[in-house]
Amino acid sequence: MSATKKILIVDDEADQREYLATVLEDNGYAIVTAEDGVRGFELARAGGVDLITLDISMDNESGIKMFRNLQGDEATKSIPVIMITGVSGELKGFIERSKRLTPPQAFFEKPVDRDTLLDTVKSLVS
Amino acid sequence: MDTIHETYFNAMPCYVTVQDRDFHIIDANEKFIKRFGDFRGRYCYQVYKQQPEKCDPCPVERTFADGRQHRSEEIVRTLDGRDVSVIVYTTPIRNGNGEITSVMEMSTNITELKVLQNQLADSRKKYHLLFEEVPCFISMQDRDLRIVEANRLHREAFGTYYGCKCYEVYKHRDKACHPCMVQQTFIDGEIHHHEEVVTDRHGRRINVMVTTAPVLNGSGEVETVIEMSADITQIRQLQSKLSSVGMIISTISHDLKGLLNGMDGGIYLVNTGMEKDNKDRIDRGWEMVLRNVDRIRGTVLDILYYAKDREPEWTALNAKDVAEEVFGIIKPKAAKSKVRCERQIDITDGHFEADAKAVRSLLINLMDNAFDACRVDTKKNDHAVVLNVSETPEAVTFAVKDNGIGMNQEVREKAFTLFFSSKGAGGTGLGLFIANKIAQSHGGNIVVESAPGEGTSLAVTMPKKRPENIEVTEIEK
Repeated sequence: MSATKKILIVDDEADQREYLATVLEDNGYAIVTAEDGVRGFELARAGGVDLITLDISMDNESGIKMFRNLQGDEATKSIPVIMITGVSGELKGFIERSKRLTPPQAFFEKPVDRDTLLDTVKSLVS
Repeated sequence: MDTIHETYFNAMPCYVTVQDRDFHIIDANEKFIKRFGDFRGRYCYQVYKQQPEKCDPCPVERTFADGRQHRSEEIVRTLDGRDVSVIVYTTPIRNGNGEITSVMEMSTNITELKVLQNQLADSRKKYHLLFEEVPCFISMQDRDLRIVEANRLHREAFGTYYGCKCYEVYKHRDKACHPCMVQQTFIDGEIHHHEEVVTDRHGRRINVMVTTAPVLNGSGEVETVIEMSADITQIRQLQSKLSSVGMIISTISHDLKGLLNGMDGGIYLVNTGMEKDNKDRIDRGWEMVLRNVDRIRGTVLDILYYAKDREPEWTALNAKDVAEEVFGIIKPKAAKSKVRCERQIDITDGHFEADAKAVRSLLINLMDNAFDACRVDTKKNDHAVVLNVSETPEAVTFAVKDNGIGMNQEVREKAFTLFFSSKGAGGTGLGLFIANKIAQSHGGNIVVESAPGEGTSLAVTMPKKRPENIEVTEIEK
């Protein structure tokens, strides 16, 4: 039997973190949370994280910067990332045009479709 | 007069007469006779001006009096009735004893010159009038960006600041603007256009379309630069209103997406809590629903305040209660952000009339801004936001003070402008615009005091009694 997969949720909104954490915990995942990109990157580097859900607009450090840090670090570059944001379409275009960033594994636009999110998480951590 | 002198006398290209002490013309050259007729037995003023009495002052009389040459400008009338402008020179003629026996008067026709002079003066007057009255702000700057000339509209709007730097007068800055179109024109000698927001001496912000053009000296070098600014404030207000509709939809929809996700989360927690008979989860879910409903309501109110002049729902309030309520909402956020949050309530009465929700929203907005200003200030370790409440017999004042990053004058002046945000992606530029609109809709105002690196104070003063006439100033980008 495979070990419980650990998901890091990075979002500056407490409600969003609690929502995602509850949904994912209910589906058998272990959860760690961070409220900004600085703390999120620390937790990702600490190891043991199988997937990251990442908000973009955050007060302290944006999701884009954390995503860039993740990609630039050997210890974190292979962790799959799901970006969850209110401006998914524009962001997707921005990242796809960016020469310095490899697009994340998935984009989700708020409000998130739970079933699709769970399917995506399942496929990325398996 | 011998023949040769008579020849010279007659050939003189001007009108020449010789007069005695009684102003009788005793001799005249041919040019004079041709233009003014027979002089014999007549006085100078009769022949020259066709008038009954001598001129006052009379240059001939002065030469008889002091023995010196005199010059004057006169208008004389020829035989055919034309007025002719002349320059008159008078010279004494003396006898062997040195006594003045007569005066020679030479008059040179300067009518054409005079016409040209008048045309030039008229032309100058027209250009001056054009410069003065053109409905634009016009100034001329030297290489040090000092204002050396300005038209009437400019002087009325910005004051008479000859010798002052243009950026001090227009922008209240202590450094040149970047980019500076005037400097650009000095460098390349080309015409440049740029849009700016300037502030007149009454503090009114004016959107201007600036055109700079070189003024060359005789060597073809740029000596000064003329800066012409057309007031496009009304156009910008209209454009801003139209374009902001699109921007506001985009901004608000982004916010609403997050809030809807929060609602989804709350509903999920409530539903799964009921399935699992988990009361704690149900409670947390319901709190989440309520919180997000409240935030959606706030966002919708913001849209309404922006979209139209929403009438306040006037109720009797107490400033202390309002401050305590806002403080209660804000304090958890303060604890999270490690910014000290204090309140100083210095009132004995504090009753006033206002829209409770609007005032609460306004103060939360100002407090949020204060926290943001502290959060981005990396130069200090200890930050505090203080909500101070005071009153006069007529008004209550809520002052939100922080020791955060502070604002320079340019940011301060634009702080209440729609969609202006100094927070980059972190701000929508709606908050302070709406805060100001709420204050104005209550007959109040917000006074900003701020210094870079020191912090900011935003003081909202509202009348205690509901005012009868309220003017809401449209402040746009």
